Amino acid sequence: MVNLIRHIIASTVLIIALMMQTGLSFAGQADDRLVAAFQRGILSLDYVYTVKREYVILSELIDDGLFYTDPETLKTVPLAAKSYQMASETQIDVDLHQDIQFHDGSPFGADDVVYTFNWLLKKDTKTKRGRLIARWLDRVEKTGPYSVSFHLKFAYPLALQQLSRSAPLRKKGAYDDVPPGKTPAGHSHNGIGPYKVTGFVPGKETVLERFENYYSTSPKARPAIGTIVIRTIPDWSTQQAELFSGGVNWMFSVPTDIAVNAGTLPMVNFIAGPSMRIGFLVLDAAGLAKPGGPLTKLKVRQALNHAINREEIVKYLVKGKSSVIHAACHPLQFGCTRDVKSYSYDPARARKLLAEAGYPDGIDLDFWAYREKEVAEAIAADLEKANIHVNFRYVKLSTLNKARSQRRIESYFGSWASGSVADVAAIAARHFSPTSDRDLTGNRDVSNLMAAAEKIRDEDKRRTLYEEALGIIAEQAYWVPLYAFTLNYLTSPDIVFTPPRDGFPRLHKIRWRQTSASLLSR
Amino acid sequence: MLRYAFKRAVLALLVAFTVSLVAFFLLNFATDPAEIIAGEDAEPEVVETIREQYGFNRPLIIQYGSWLAGLARGDWGESYYWRKPVAELVLEHAPVTIQLALMAVFVTLIVAIPLAVMAALRPNSLLDRMALSTAVMAQAVPNFWLGLIFIILFAVTIPIFPVSGDSSFAHFILPSIVLGTSSVPAVMRLTRTGLLEVLSSDYIRTAKSKGYRGFKLLTRHAMRNALLPVVSVLAIQLGHKLGSSVVVESVFALNGLGRLALDSIIGSDIPTVQMLVFVFAMVFVVLIFLSDLLNAWIDPRLRLG
Repeated sequence: MVNLIRHIIASTVLIIALMMQTGLSFAGQADDRLVAAFQRGILSLDYVYTVKREYVILSELIDDGLFYTDPETLKTVPLAAKSYQMASETQIDVDLHQDIQFHDGSPFGADDVVYTFNWLLKKDTKTKRGRLIARWLDRVEKTGPYSVSFHLKFAYPLALQQLSRSAPLRKKGAYDDVPPGKTPAGHSHNGIGPYKVTGFVPGKETVLERFENYYSTSPKARPAIGTIVIRTIPDWSTQQAELFSGGVNWMFSVPTDIAVNAGTLPMVNFIAGPSMRIGFLVLDAAGLAKPGGPLTKLKVRQALNHAINREEIVKYLVKGKSSVIHAACHPLQFGCTRDVKSYSYDPARARKLLAEAGYPDGIDLDFWAYREKEVAEAIAADLEKANIHVNFRYVKLSTLNKARSQRRIESYFGSWASGSVADVAAIAARHFSPTSDRDLTGNRDVSNLMAAAEKIRDEDKRRTLYEEALGIIAEQAYWVPLYAFTLNYLTSPDIVFTPPRDGFPRLHKIRWRQTSASLLSR
Repeated sequence: MLRYAFKRAVLALLVAFTVSLVAFFLLNFATDPAEIIAGEDAEPEVVETIREQYGFNRPLIIQYGSWLAGLARGDWGESYYWRKPVAELVLEHAPVTIQLALMAVFVTLIVAIPLAVMAALRPNSLLDRMALSTAVMAQAVPNFWLGLIFIILFAVTIPIFPVSGDSSFAHFILPSIVLGTSSVPAVMRLTRTGLLEVLSSDYIRTAKSKGYRGFKLLTRHAMRNALLPVVSVLAIQLGHKLGSSVVVESVFALNGLGRLALDSIIGSDIPTVQMLVFVFAMVFVVLIFLSDLLNAWIDPRLRLG
């Protein structure tokens, strides 16, 4: 027995020694390998079939569109397109770079562009991106081996932006093997982006190598880091532990409390960046859920606006780079005026307004939320202080969507990231359109103004239309605009990462921090 | 024995059928697969088209019949979320969970058996009390907490193990300790009780009179009999490890069946969740069936029951 115990101890020591040889691997500058941690798994490499943020970040690495949104200026510049010109209000002529290659080495040209857009515009391909594009794009035609023309249904001011974000270019015939009506698995990929996929295990890991034949004229530029590994680590604590131990270099969308605590440690950089996402309460002013209900009265909606202490929510709960907003848009967005009626936190005034509206004992309110639970609870608590008796319904997004489409929602805490597009159109099209179930205003003037601004290219006219529409929304208190979100990042100290203004991280811009040790090792 | 085995097999099949039936109806009542496939922003007409295309508009009992027929043909269906055949998904993720479960059971054994022996050799002593307290603590500590503490201690503070992942044998050490710890009390108590009973039996007295003492007495005479019921309990514990690895796999980012189950639940992927529930249930059913047979083989009186 003693011998047996000796054997067990000896074997255990050997096993541990072996593990040390094989098990531990560190991300870092020495092997030019950056590890990014995602909480949600990447299940497909094809971005056109999803709208989730993780896929957008990945797509920016492995795909290129015709245009690119510069993260500093937020201007749209040509990417795979060499140049473009507006032939008319509804026609964009695009010349392509002639030195672009796909990751498999095949050349890129006009046929690939036409194929990509025809695929997106086809109804039965079920792409998430196609529907967005089909709203404004009629057809694309090849005008030369390296030139195409886009024919728009109307003068759409966001066309270039959508061409930059919503249409990653595919090789002609890329989807030929997909059976009609089916969605491609997206487990292999052939793009023209600065990184190519060299390993992919759905839900677990994606390995990207710098594409050495990436065209030198790209505004994305040649990436500084050779290998990027995207790992799925669902637990925040495990992500932190990986960061502390050198197994991960970059985490994003980290909850504020975790980010602030971890940021105090020397081996971690905490970076709070802006996000294009805004939070707001949508009020059933049209009485769709409760015809003739309290929210159909202006004074009640104004009372709600006065009842919520936005400053304290931002200061104590959201923190970071978040800020209070008063208009129904993100302050960075084109057309988002700050010159609208604002409502200060004043619960006494809110109670008075309720009494004036005929509710001296307050009102009962169904209040729905699906994310930021602690903020939603703080809002509910504020509303209670103002005599607004909340029936709090915290549900999954799909449940909220269903209830909203069935017109059963009196008020909800919504949020919208506008796909990181810095234009009011990106939020207005979904929230103030008579065809959208998110529009609870019942005010056709607002939707007409928003729609008009989306169909002209003249910037001054657009700005005027948005100012008027946003002014009505604030005057009529259709929403309770709350705050612009913050986006928290935790990084290892050896990387240089600048948080983007639009909240859409571009990992190809990350580089290693130059230290004396790193310079000596080269 | 054959008749007994046949009766247990029929019972096991009935349990598996009931589990699959309940799982199918609960999942389909809880969510609408057509809406999941169509996506969050889909128009109602698109959802309706999908409902017709996939046959979700048929009565649930008919859909269940189709699923059962598919199962009989070896067709486990297609995942909407992962866009892959479910069988492929399960086979891809199973090795990680099987390795984790086997290692966890190994951990249980190497902790529980020595503790039980020490406790049984000195019943009601301080050592016995300490062993029992250790076992109770091991059961009381939540897996996720213990996992994080182990990560902080042995992967961050003293970096001898990797924090997360499943690419090498080393990645399984901490998770298997965490998962194995929770089974220690059950195995330890059973072994201790068995040993105490055996140690007071006549044949042990005879062995002692022949001069057997200490470890020789334990290993050659006492343990063999005391461990027989433990073997069947271990089979159940193995099934339990396979089915309860969700938390540990999430904490340690292991890409096994537990993670697959969690991700599929989050993605409302009914075909995968349905099949995983069925697979986990079948693992239990098979292991219980085997342990029933083992017990009946050990104790012939059970075959009469």
